[in-house]
Amino acid sequence: MIGRAAALLCALVSLCAGAAYAQSAESLAWLRKIQDATRNLSYSGTFVYQHGGRSETSRITRLASADTERLEVLDGLPRELVRTRDTVRCYLPESKVVKVERRTPDRSFPALLPDQLNALAQHYDISLGETRRVGGFECQAVMLTPKDNLRYGYRLYADTASGMLVRAVTVDAAGNQIEQFMFTQLNIGRVTPDMVKSRHAAASFRVEDAETAPTRLAGWSLSSELPGFHKVIELTRRMGESKPVGQVVYSDGLAAVSVFIEPLQARRDPARTGLASLGAIHIYTREVANHMVTVVGEAPAASVQRIANAVEYRRP
Amino acid sequence: MKEEISALMDGELEEHASARAIDALRREGEALECWRIYHLISDGMRDTRLLSQGFTARLAERLAGEATVLAPANLPGKTPVQRFAFAAAASLAAVALVGWLAFAPQPLAPVADNAQLRPASAAMTMVPLPSAANDYLLAHQGFSPRVSLQGMAPYVRTVAEHRDEPAK
Repeated sequence: MIGRAAALLCALVSLCAGAAYAQSAESLAWLRKIQDATRNLSYSGTFVYQHGGRSETSRITRLASADTERLEVLDGLPRELVRTRDTVRCYLPESKVVKVERRTPDRSFPALLPDQLNALAQHYDISLGETRRVGGFECQAVMLTPKDNLRYGYRLYADTASGMLVRAVTVDAAGNQIEQFMFTQLNIGRVTPDMVKSRHAAASFRVEDAETAPTRLAGWSLSSELPGFHKVIELTRRMGESKPVGQVVYSDGLAAVSVFIEPLQARRDPARTGLASLGAIHIYTREVANHMVTVVGEAPAASVQRIANAVEYRRP
Repeated sequence: MKEEISALMDGELEEHASARAIDALRREGEALECWRIYHLISDGMRDTRLLSQGFTARLAERLAGEATVLAPANLPGKTPVQRFAFAAAASLAAVALVGWLAFAPQPLAPVADNAQLRPASAAMTMVPLPSAANDYLLAHQGFSPRVSLQGMAPYVRTVAEHRDEPAK
């Protein structure tokens, strides 16, 4: 009798393990489907970004054949971003400035590669949720639940037909919504080159080029890394009209945290230390060895602070 | 018009203003689109279940198909006793309704509103965003793997002007 119960239990356990594995493979396949749709489809749509009781409406258009995407913020001050294969341009018509970020071939962002997708399962339980209608689309929910409290969780809703991400919600450990993106209208296909061209392309704006260059920031390191967050890139760059600023990026495969290091005397305005937040992003500023260290990341406050507090300088 | 639609949804419009807003909705233009989007947003915020596809059309069809009920002009006169009974029943019903309202489970507060305004770390005092926040955010965003799942959408965080805007 006991033997039979034990056998049954074994069978049950192996069945459950099998189901869990199958579920994870299926949910990873969904993440891949979302990623492929984001890259391979041309689309135009209006989405709402919501955080802290505020919401902003923006229009996004992608022409896949030209690998060009345009984002126009419709509320508040006019702002527009155009991303091509090798640059991101941010047009600020009010101040007549265009900020340019260059994408060098060695850092292939979007950075989520298939093997990195598999690595995500180290830090998140990835599972499929219900199917439900979102913004008129029949959607499959994909849940990424963090295995520790160092990162946020995500609820993704993808159109079952095309794989397009229709809604993305970031949640904290208690399940509270931190921010969300949601399409209120989305058309797939029918995108012409004119639709991804900046309306300010011909205007003579002042250009602020980031002039990024991969480098080793001598003497700077973290006394301890945040579990799961690995160094992705280390570079120098310009920000606004400042002297070169160091930037080191850490990522767990889904969330990223940047550490900016700039000499105190190069700053235009007095530095303000402390923690600030914007949606799922936390910004923590502190002084280290006569430098201003600013850590920016889409991670809980404690994680951003932990990275900031681990930044140290040792004379090389 | 957008503000009026929003106020109409919140039940904050005067009667004649409501009539004007509803008139605008009937014309099926921008106002109706605005109404649709505001409801989508509020449903999204509160995680409300959406109605099944084509619900509105089916409801309108069923309504059109309903037989028109013509109310009788006058009920036969009631005796005082009957009237008293009616009144008693009505007040009992009122008590029952109040009781039901008082004991009914309260709907969950919309998660999106209050939870987000709390500082992320209670022990830590929050400071305003640094003046160069947009530069930091723009510089950071390009390295966020989320871009590969969502395209440029997360870049809205890099360019929004937040400091001058009062919270809604």
